[in-house]
Amino acid sequence: MAAMSKDNVARVIDFLQENKNRGGDVSLSDVMHLAEVMSGSMHEVLTKIQPAVTEELTAIAREITRMKQEITDLRADDMKTSRIPEAGRELDAIVEATEDATNTIMEAAEEIMSADASDPQAYQDFVSGKMITIFEACTFQDITGQRISKVVSTLNFIDERVSAFVDKLRLPEGAGIPAEETEEERRKRELILHGPQHAGEGVSQSDVDAMLAEAQSEIDKLFD
Amino acid sequence: MALDLQMPVLVVDDYKTMIRIIRNLLKQLGFEDIDDAADGTEALEKMKQRRYGLVISDWNMEPMTGYELLKQVRADGSLSKTPFIMVTAESKTENVIAAKKAGVNNYIVKPFNAQTLKGKIEAVFSD
Repeated sequence: MAAMSKDNVARVIDFLQENKNRGGDVSLSDVMHLAEVMSGSMHEVLTKIQPAVTEELTAIAREITRMKQEITDLRADDMKTSRIPEAGRELDAIVEATEDATNTIMEAAEEIMSADASDPQAYQDFVSGKMITIFEACTFQDITGQRISKVVSTLNFIDERVSAFVDKLRLPEGAGIPAEETEEERRKRELILHGPQHAGEGVSQSDVDAMLAEAQSEIDKLFD
Repeated sequence: MALDLQMPVLVVDDYKTMIRIIRNLLKQLGFEDIDDAADGTEALEKMKQRRYGLVISDWNMEPMTGYELLKQVRADGSLSKTPFIMVTAESKTENVIAAKKAGVNNYIVKPFNAQTLKGKIEAVFSD
């Protein structure tokens, strides 16, 4: 590592010795002189370390430029202002459409259940009319299918951009700091909230029945 | 305990459509006195005001889940004997075991049909 030369150290010591008995009577020119001596003594050190510092700073600047380009490629603004809000609107529309359709179907079914069947012809006409209403309500599936495709496309877009960004960050394996558990995650863990399972992932009703029977027989054994 | 179609039944679900479906199925089975609540908190308040013969509850609700409701019901001396059926999309093994340990009388996995609901209600009252 670079250090001050003996000559420079001697100059600083001489200056300090010359001024040590002045009892605090130091002028601005004395201070300026000391600064001059000190900076002169450091010149050699700075000259030696400058190329290394310059190289490091250039590398950092290059990395910042690269990162800025990666962030631009991420198109985060497009995601935030356009794609994600649009996907949210699509999902809201899906919820609304399925709710409307369900209500229509259920209303028709409830009216059929409570209809007066004493006049067979009138009852048949009534039921046929309600069946048509149910078929019409089921057309929601076509539109929600298209909306879901748009949401899936947005998720794929985000996945591709974020994955590419993470790859280009060149993070070493296991470099990520484990995320702290959020309040929502804690609630889900403690209250065992997984949400609906996909086909084949959860247990079936017959599995549940077997498990309950088994658990009950284990409990019963305690009382034998 | 015998099955009494006149007894009041409390259906707890945060999804109005599901309440409507269960209500209609219960009516088909012959139950007439059916009440509902949108989550565990509302259900618990109603249960403290009225003695229900059966509670049919969803699991995943805010702010109080069906699982918390079940535990609170079992911990309350005046409510602890109330028959309790969980009707839920939570179909992991740990959910079923946790519910059983908490004292659930039966467990129905969504989606379910009228026959399953009928069978489970009958099983609860034949035990």
